[in-house]
Amino acid sequence: MSDAIRFLLGDRERVLRDVPPTLTVLEYLRRHERRTGTKEGCAEGDCGACTVVLQEPDGQGGLRRRAVNSCIQFVAVLDGRQLLTVEDLKAADGTLHPVQQAIVDRHGSQCGFCTPGFVMQLYSGWLGQDYSERPEVKNWIAGNLCRCTGYGPIIDAGLAALDAERPGTAETTALAERLEALGHGEMLHLAHDGPHGRQEWFAPRSVDELAAIYLAHPDAVLVAGATDVGLWVTKQHRHLATLIDVTRIPELAALRDTGNELAIGAGVTHSAAMEALSALHPDLGKLLTRFAAVQIRNAGTVGGNIANGSPIGDLPPALIALDARLQLRKGREQREIALENFFVAYGNQDRAPGEFVESVTVPKLRPNTRFACYKLSKRFDSDISAVMAAFSVTVEAGRIASARLAFGGMAATPKRAKAAETALMGSAFGLEAFEAAAVALAEDFQPLTDMRASAQYRLLAAQNLLRRFALENAPAGRPVATRVLEIAHG
Amino acid sequence: MADTATLIGRPSIGQPTRRVDGPLKVSGGARYAGEYFADDLLHGYVVSGSIAKGRILSIDTSAAMAIPGVVEVFTHENRPRTAWFDSKYQDQVAPPGSPFRPLYGDGILYSGQPIALVVAESFEAARDAAALVKATYAPEEHITDLDAVKGQSYVPPKKRSGIAPPPEPRGDAEAAFAKAPVKVHETYRVAVEHHNPMEPFATTVVRDAGGKLTIYDKTQGSQNAQAYVTGVFGLNQSDVTVVNAFVGGAFGIGLRPQHQLFLAVMAAQALERSVRVVLTRDQMFTLSYRPETIQTLSLGSAPGGKLDAIMHHAVAGTSHFEDYQEVVVNWAGLLYGCDNVKLSYELAKIDTYTPSDMRAPGATLGVFALESAMDELAYAAGVDPLQLRLTNYADFDQNEDKKFTSKALISCYEQGAERFGWSKRSAEPRSMRDGHELVGWGMATGVWEAKINKTAARASLTETGHLEVSSATSDIGTGTYTVMALTGADAFGLPIEHVTARLGDSSLPTAPVEGGSWAAASTSSAVVDACDKLKQALFKQAQSMPDSPFGNVDFDGVAFRDGRMMLAADEGSSVKLGEIVRSARQHRMEAEGSAAPDSATQKEYVSYTHSAIFVEVKVDEELGVVRVTRIVNAVAAGKILNPKAARSQILGGVVMAMGAALEEETFADHNLGRFMNHNFAEYHVPVNADVQDIDVIFVEEPDDKTSPIGAKGIGEIGIVGTTAAIANAVYHATGKRIRDLPITIDKILA
Ligand SMILES: Cc1cc2nc3c(=O)[nH]c(=O)nc-3n(C[C@H](O)[C@H](O)[C@H](O)COP(=O)(O)OP(=O)(O)OC[C@H]3O[C@@H](n4cnc5c(N)ncnc54)[C@H](O)[C@@H]3O)c2cc1C
Ligand code: FES
Ligand code: FES
Repeated sequence: MSDAIRFLLGDRERVLRDVPPTLTVLEYLRRHERRTGTKEGCAEGDCGACTVVLQEPDGQGGLRRRAVNSCIQFVAVLDGRQLLTVEDLKAADGTLHPVQQAIVDRHGSQCGFCTPGFVMQLYSGWLGQDYSERPEVKNWIAGNLCRCTGYGPIIDAGLAALDAERPGTAETTALAERLEALGHGEMLHLAHDGPHGRQEWFAPRSVDELAAIYLAHPDAVLVAGATDVGLWVTKQHRHLATLIDVTRIPELAALRDTGNELAIGAGVTHSAAMEALSALHPDLGKLLTRFAAVQIRNAGTVGGNIANGSPIGDLPPALIALDARLQLRKGREQREIALENFFVAYGNQDRAPGEFVESVTVPKLRPNTRFACYKLSKRFDSDISAVMAAFSVTVEAGRIASARLAFGGMAATPKRAKAAETALMGSAFGLEAFEAAAVALAEDFQPLTDMRASAQYRLLAAQNLLRRFALENAPAGRPVATRVLEIAHG
Repeated sequence: MADTATLIGRPSIGQPTRRVDGPLKVSGGARYAGEYFADDLLHGYVVSGSIAKGRILSIDTSAAMAIPGVVEVFTHENRPRTAWFDSKYQDQVAPPGSPFRPLYGDGILYSGQPIALVVAESFEAARDAAALVKATYAPEEHITDLDAVKGQSYVPPKKRSGIAPPPEPRGDAEAAFAKAPVKVHETYRVAVEHHNPMEPFATTVVRDAGGKLTIYDKTQGSQNAQAYVTGVFGLNQSDVTVVNAFVGGAFGIGLRPQHQLFLAVMAAQALERSVRVVLTRDQMFTLSYRPETIQTLSLGSAPGGKLDAIMHHAVAGTSHFEDYQEVVVNWAGLLYGCDNVKLSYELAKIDTYTPSDMRAPGATLGVFALESAMDELAYAAGVDPLQLRLTNYADFDQNEDKKFTSKALISCYEQGAERFGWSKRSAEPRSMRDGHELVGWGMATGVWEAKINKTAARASLTETGHLEVSSATSDIGTGTYTVMALTGADAFGLPIEHVTARLGDSSLPTAPVEGGSWAAASTSSAVVDACDKLKQALFKQAQSMPDSPFGNVDFDGVAFRDGRMMLAADEGSSVKLGEIVRSARQHRMEAEGSAAPDSATQKEYVSYTHSAIFVEVKVDEELGVVRVTRIVNAVAAGKILNPKAARSQILGGVVMAMGAALEEETFADHNLGRFMNHNFAEYHVPVNADVQDIDVIFVEEPDDKTSPIGAKGIGEIGIVGTTAAIANAVYHATGKRIRDLPITIDKILA
């Protein structure tokens, strides 16, 4: 067991011991290190001003990197990694990094408060060659807000810096080796006595270790990407006594393709799942590009999105429509349930104390199945869904043989529209059948009015989505230029 | 000492220039108010009240005090003595009334009012302890719903300084409207918006051993904040320096001192320590906001659209303790020629904090209503919306019966329409489609006042020939550093890397708050004047140098270039500027200059910036999703000092208008009397995906009267009118006229 967080801050080694485990990386930087280049605009993952870059060895002599929101990441995330902030990019002689210079040249900074976040987000993409075209840059910085520039100059800057020379392999290998040497492969255990009592953090390294520790501390909070849990601390000021990190476990971070199915470990981030889910169906990939933004997807996990039980989570409706199954484990016991049965009621899931989500298994689509998913939100990008819908309809011998219509934002849990599904069964695939389903949908749901949308909007838009699905998939329907998911795309 | 920017590049006024403060901002070197440290620094965390109106019955701080590291919890019960009279709390831009006094007494005036400040050795301790402060209240009935009180609206008895009340009616608008063949009579509303600059409000008070305070404050006016602090706490001006070297956006919310400034200074004085107070994003929603405003517009015209009657009435919300005012309705009497005009502006009191100026205050609201109504009139009269504006073009200001210093709005219309392709528009709503999306084209006019304000600046030249120009103005992201440096470089013919601009420090020459787009024009005019005076002083000194080549010429006979003074007629005869300074046995020579509006000009002329905005939207009919796919904003703003900075200002304004048109609104729960969506997840500001093709045109507009350097200012004009152009485009696309902003998905589908 290790009792300290070891990492590189820029190129300097740091060891943190006896820190509150829920200290955020941002607070650590700004208050403890007095490194104020990294900004706090919201402390809840919404603005990107706090973006920093983490690098770690990829196990093959290279580096893996990701930009994250430091405001909702706890310091333990640094263990064994390199933390880069906006102060680290200048050359030793003071020369600005090409990304920085491009922002100066293109007037991408006015008041400058958002700028460090944009610099780091663009820098991570530049390093990883994650973008080369305008739409890609736009997508890459979707999680960074700027109130001054109108974004155009920043996007120009991102494109302008593209061709600048990147670090050579020798440099990368040396850094990877340095980080390998920092790593210990042991379970991290932090303990800290604070004003509200003792706080402990465990980062087990195997599923068995996790199972044992969670069984011993059934009241502990599991932490995956912390994109929800981080907010409990920064916004709700909750005191969390025991936390168990599930992201340092190789088995949980694995994606397995069995041919017919895709098994996604609970610790797989949205970014890591993107490719495999896109291969299942392109809509799933597009859905993920509209799931928060890069920094959140780099941290947030598929498991967390399911386990948090939110009625407006984006993945559950899609996975329910695909008939996914959930693998749960408690101590040595494992069980499997249909994902839709996991969501019992608002704030209540079928999960016992000490039990955790191990993985979710998603069957691949059959050729005669038509699938689509739609995310409707008030603001196109970086917004929580007002309505989330996913439809999977199988046609046999010209008739609808099965239908799974799943919705988020329409009820207290992600839920199938059973009446609408029944209305479809046995009909020919076409507008007529879906009109009937749309009518039946009013029996399935009595949505609420809230800040995101009115109840009427939700029902009407959900009905229109059924109609649209019919038109898009009908053999001789009207031509549809774009899928809903792309409608508002910039 | 303020951080000063490193200067790079070698440009000149009117040329696109990189920002001199850019390198610090991209590398984390620019320090903002909450980023200063002191060895004795304490951290303050604000506790906000939870009712909208009433009294605090009790406030229990014992649990908070018990947290290790907590030094003090200040409430109204133990607040140290501060000024008694509310007039001491009045700042330069305060509207008439009694300014809010933090922790003054047990009264609660609005939801989220600060009721305590926890001060601790660490931020974490202060934050954790703040959650333990428990108050009980005697709530009183509150009203936060403007609709509930709009019937009791009143004409503000005392006018806010600098805000023109509506002009006297002209002609007989009612009679003319009654008999007008074409009429529009509608009500328009814009939701409450919060400024939401990216930087949350913060103050760091650094107290030295002798008790002098250096206050790093997020403010748009260091001297305004300084005067507030000295007034409220009874301090000498020489003991208080306010620094705002870098301000992470403000858009008006930094004009008036905010409560964290008061609280930080109060704690620093009481505890004799340095103190920092930073607000959270949700506490930013307890500060000021753009007032909700209900407007009624009546337009009457002849069949061809020639206006014969304009009536514009607005009721705006304000607090119970101040009469906040802005110019909402006057634009309707200014923008179009019309002989029968009646304008009125009233307030109604609600139990919230006082609203405040927010980017293009008043105009953003009033011009939205006016330009929406003009679009409605175009349809009612069956004329093209652009043609309607041309038909009613105003050559002089009928409100004040004065001439325009310049007005190139016609060029804006022409060049904007040309670039946009307006002539290809089919007039009928719902007549243009792209695939399954409806396409809409709309346009509107924008207008904003142009003026300069009394501002002083200093120019100082060192013995090494380096120029420093300084003024207590602010740069809230608007590029004042760069414009000042450029102006100095231009005046002396120096490369810009030999010029340093200093601002954001109350000890520098007097300047007003940075707002209303006037900073660039005012400050650079003052810098020009200071440089002129310094050049004359240098000339005098140079004449007295032994073997001076300047003995026989007067000031007009010399030129300044590349760090030298030379004979205009013989550039070979020159002296290095640094040598002149040394010859005076000085390390530096300096001069102060100033700029102020010219009262003779003001008697005869008014000055405004104008714009024409053309917008394309695409609307998904079934889902209500609106995308703004194209905007052309053609602007007439006099001389453009720095085209890169100006373009970037307009873009920022346009995008903020897109937010106002489609996304931004702060919802109140009127039962609780509280704003509900106090975070970026629920209060939507535009993200980059919302922004597509925005084209900015600056039309030629020579102007020799607005300011000595011919500039008018471009900070606000980008937002004005753009909301209306978007709403008009949505109507053209869908046939649905939405008169209350923002235009959200459910309003389109309703
Ligand atoms: C700015 C922002 C934008 C967002 N946008 C979206 C969006 O567009 N769509 C959307 O659906 N969500 C969104 N979210 C919510 C959130 O990011 C996702 O739900 C995310 O998938 C949560 O994963 P996580 O790994 O970060 O979870 P964590 O925060 O680590 O955990 C979430 C919950 O799951 C529990 N948990 C985690 N792992 C396990 C496990 N293996 N077994 C049992 N319980 C577990 C935790 O104890 C906690 O209760 C957003 C959040 C933020 C901050
Ligand atoms: S501070 Fe806004 S995302 Fe972290
Ligand atoms: S430059 Fe001010 S928020 Fe981006």
